[in-house]
Amino acid sequence: MSSRRSRQSSSSGSSRISDDQIIELISKLRQFLPEIRDNRRSNKVSASKVLQETCSYIRNLHREVDDLSERLSQLLSTIDADSPEAAIIRSLIQQ
Amino acid sequence: MTCSFHRVERMENRTSLKKKFLQKWIKGLQLYSPSENLTTITERRKFIKLSADIAMASVRGSMTKWSRALIANASCNSENKVLVEQISGCSTEILRKSAPDLGRACRLQASVAKKITSKKILKRSRRMRKREPLPSRLLPSSIAKRLVKKRTQLLKSLLPGGESMDDESLIKETLDYIVSLRAQVDVMRSLARMSGFKSS
Repeated sequence: MSSRRSRQSSSSGSSRISDDQIIELISKLRQFLPEIRDNRRSNKVSASKVLQETCSYIRNLHREVDDLSERLSQLLSTIDADSPEAAIIRSLIQQ
Repeated sequence: MTCSFHRVERMENRTSLKKKFLQKWIKGLQLYSPSENLTTITERRKFIKLSADIAMASVRGSMTKWSRALIANASCNSENKVLVEQISGCSTEILRKSAPDLGRACRLQASVAKKITSKKILKRSRRMRKREPLPSRLLPSSIAKRLVKKRTQLLKSLLPGGESMDDESLIKETLDYIVSLRAQVDVMRSLARMSGFKSS
């Protein structure tokens, strides 16, 4: 695995992720990342900026999951799958 | 015109993703039995998070590398095997066959940690030896390249199973992982809100 990577970097003179892939990623991430969405010249956003925003976004999502798990552990003294809460959420999601 | 179609399609996919996640998560939560050692808040929190993560990965199944890696990592711990099997609906033996990385993941975790430490030690000793800065290092292009490389590594560390991904699949996996995480957060937030209403 590591040998393949070193071969790649020595053969290609450009950055490790190609520009085309960056453009594709940007257009898809645009809906998630407010930084890039507000940027008018978004087609000139650098690869490192996209990566940075992506990493911080994922970290935020991880933190939210942890916080929500914390909150749920306090709220759900008994985790009852047949509880009215689960039924409500199920119906809400089905809308 | 294609934009609105894609938006509708995304909305529908998002709803079905949340539905599937909730179904699997509930299946996992059913395993919770207050009589065992899950009575402390810490244990409950860990169980809630673990079952949510496994459920989220199980929705994607073996389609994405991150979901395979997440389930593999969870299965490393023998305590979690029952939970994994309950949520994914198939035994860990079948999972191991369909995802060959399952056995490798546990060993990979340990070896990756070792590699990172030894690389850090090597880097530090190299830095101390070379006193004269090479001019090529200060070129904007090489600085940018290093930055991209560093952040790519960071992204890989955030993604389950990311360490062994090539750059192209890293992008696809990242997008899928983000979409799944958002669905997970949405459902958990709804449940927390509902439960908050009940207690107040």
